[in-house]
Amino acid sequence: MIKKYTTLLKAGVMEMLHFRLSVLVLVAGNMLYLAVIYFLWKAIFDSAGTESVNGMTFESTLIYLVLATALFNFMEMYIVWDMGRTIQSGKIVLDLIKPMDYKNYMFWAFSGNVAAQFFTTFLPTFIVVALVTKGAIPLGTNLIAFAVSVILGIVINFNVDFIVGTICLYTESIWGINIMKQVIVLLFSGATIPLAFFPEGLRRVVDLLPFRAIYDAPLTILLSINGITDDVLYTIAIQIVWVIILEILSRGFWKISLRQITVNGG
Amino acid sequence: MDNVIEIKNLTKEFKVLNRHEGIKGSIRDLFSRDYKTVYAVKDVSLNIKQGEIVGYLGPNGAGKSTTIKMMTGVLKPSSGSILVNGRIPYRERTKNSQEIGVVFGQRSQLWWSLPLIESFKLLKEIYGIDSKHYDEMMEFYGTLVDLEPILHKPVRQMSLGQRTLSDILASFLHNPRICFLDEPTIGLDVAMKSNIRTLIHAINEKMNTTVILTTHDMGDVDALCRRIVIIDKGQMLYDNDIDHLRKFFGAYRTLKVRLKGDISENVKEIGAVLSDRDVTVSSDDEWISVLVNEDKCRVLDVLSIIQKDHKVKDMQLQEISTEDVIKKIYTEGV
Amino acid sequence: MNNKGLAFYIKIYGRILAQDLKSKMSYRADFIISMLGMIFTDAAGFITFWIMFRNFSSIQEWEYYEMLFLYGFSLIAITPVQCLLDNNWSLRINVREGDFIKYCFRPINLFFYYESEVFDVKGLGQLGVGVFTLVYAWIKLGLGCNVMMVLKVIVFLISASLFMMAMQNAAAATCFWIENSFYVLDLAFKLKDYAKYPVTIFGPVFRFVFTFVFPIAFIAYYPSLVILRPDNVPLLTWLAPPLGILFFYLSYRFWMLGAMKYNGTGS
Repeated sequence: MIKKYTTLLKAGVMEMLHFRLSVLVLVAGNMLYLAVIYFLWKAIFDSAGTESVNGMTFESTLIYLVLATALFNFMEMYIVWDMGRTIQSGKIVLDLIKPMDYKNYMFWAFSGNVAAQFFTTFLPTFIVVALVTKGAIPLGTNLIAFAVSVILGIVINFNVDFIVGTICLYTESIWGINIMKQVIVLLFSGATIPLAFFPEGLRRVVDLLPFRAIYDAPLTILLSINGITDDVLYTIAIQIVWVIILEILSRGFWKISLRQITVNGG
Repeated sequence: MDNVIEIKNLTKEFKVLNRHEGIKGSIRDLFSRDYKTVYAVKDVSLNIKQGEIVGYLGPNGAGKSTTIKMMTGVLKPSSGSILVNGRIPYRERTKNSQEIGVVFGQRSQLWWSLPLIESFKLLKEIYGIDSKHYDEMMEFYGTLVDLEPILHKPVRQMSLGQRTLSDILASFLHNPRICFLDEPTIGLDVAMKSNIRTLIHAINEKMNTTVILTTHDMGDVDALCRRIVIIDKGQMLYDNDIDHLRKFFGAYRTLKVRLKGDISENVKEIGAVLSDRDVTVSSDDEWISVLVNEDKCRVLDVLSIIQKDHKVKDMQLQEISTEDVIKKIYTEGV
Repeated sequence: MNNKGLAFYIKIYGRILAQDLKSKMSYRADFIISMLGMIFTDAAGFITFWIMFRNFSSIQEWEYYEMLFLYGFSLIAITPVQCLLDNNWSLRINVREGDFIKYCFRPINLFFYYESEVFDVKGLGQLGVGVFTLVYAWIKLGLGCNVMMVLKVIVFLISASLFMMAMQNAAAATCFWIENSFYVLDLAFKLKDYAKYPVTIFGPVFRFVFTFVFPIAFIAYYPSLVILRPDNVPLLTWLAPPLGILFFYLSYRFWMLGAMKYNGTGS
């Protein structure tokens, strides 16, 4: 079992090394991003003059944002792009006649990627952050809850992507659709600014949206010191509710849209 | 008549790094000075007169496009000289472009989302075509092709045939002295191929434009070119009248048939009945090929002889290809 | 640009643009969605600052409206690269598939011809948000307004946009030498997101990097000082216009060098 994954890991690394330069540029880009985040929040907290603001210290803010970025890079599947392209090129027909539910097919086709990205993006970042911050990330039962929460986050993210991807049946502007989704998800999931800093009114709105269940939920669980508490279970329960709601919504929307398109002979 | 193109001892060489395998090899390559020289074009000399249609032939990678790139001024020769309309193309690329036209069979140079007429109008501006000439050309085009269905259609919605047609019309619009057509009939059906050939012929006739035609289709060559130049591995193999080549080759075509029954036995039998007809019989897995010299006997006769004793399931007729011509030149000389 | 004058090029560009817009208008839904996408992205930046400053009163000596000023300035400065040089994103694919050669046969400047093919309308959405943000911040800061200030802003906006165009050009042109150059272009494009912060918040190393290596400090910070800190304008600010022209020219030469090199090796 382990060997299977190490082989996968090796293949991934080999493939990446093949594009040595792109790795270099990617790493440089990420370093630059981290540096900017670091200096920006350092300046902000220095100017604030207090240790903690809204319960967040400089260190916890930084950990949160770095891990959120790593989580984003790891969970992003670019489903909208892929669906948009297959729809526009007409190749979608080939996928539809496969003896498999399209949505399941997409999910399993992309989950391999996500697994690989876990090792290449999230795990190294996590290890580095854990080592550098020396114990700021609790390493206990919360890791198990985190794993569950990440998987739920992936499913929610996939469902959101699938719904947005379905919109590509109606328009040719994949770029516009995708960027709007990305902006909304990144902002309202707390990946740009930790949700703790959101003003009260806005936070109430965010609580009603599924996006925080993607990145904020697993991160909060990961950073919670007391292991599996009621709060953790509550967060996971919310995620499960979202999975169910989005599962129904995405399937319904896809079915209706497909019927409409075939009627129009698109 | 004047030469519009004068090429003397033209050579283009590239230095290629000898690559080594594996990780160690790639590290070595980083510091390696182990180059080998590859000649894309070697010592080619050629003069082309105003108004000629020249078939420029050769297999893929022979150096055709490298020569054309040098003639159009996007590539600088390693040695030798090249004059197009009396200019050195590389030194005066933009001026040279003003007097040439270029068409690539599968790469449209027109504005993808614009209707054809708008592309024409933009070209009118870019090339500074005066209105009188522009109107004349449009009128002339109107007599050659039915412009109505394509003029107001965006290029992205056109069929490949319409697109090629449009590209050719666009390339002659500014009345270039020379037009380079790179596989203009590739991927087109028979009717469209014939349309395109007629079009090129008519424009050449009327405007006296020199046409350099690269193609793999001997049909294009037969229909349009008086003169052909064959190049392979960067070197010129042949430069002469097409009649000269025809005389040498005869009019060869290959008849391919699929017959009922055992293939090797069929080959033997057919070889026997056609033994006095000066044909060559060969076969692959399913098809039996009969190379026929039409100057000596007709393909139809051969077919009827075969049909006498065998049931023909399927048949094809193939023109002799450039590759065949070159193979023959190699083995037998001209 | 060769023997043809600037007027010629402006005229050609105008004609292509007019036709292009006409054909884009026939896909109105796509147009609107792209525009909305752009506005969303830029508005999100605005909202981020708003949320940030609900919790903090200033970043170093920079207050909320001054940060918005920088942000608006940077949005306007990156509009030209978005609108005019969008075809650079396809350069990599054109080169790889061998389509680039088809741009080389026109009797006009190659770089101009290539870039003129695409005008990205959604960049105008960016311009809209940028102008709105800048004016809003300007008014809130009570900066006052005179002809000289407007003139300065325009000159420095143009020079700022030259830096961004230069970076994107150079990054796109790497595709003539290396495979997978998408990452380089993507990185150069993402750098613009850091242009909205005052470069003084960074440590000395990064301050140097963002000023001389990836000159994003010239996209908003240095030029904005002319308006925001008129009593204390550093030399680098005044150098921005000539440096911008120089950077842009170098990137153009680099791009052309790549194009010529590509023709030598591409099939």
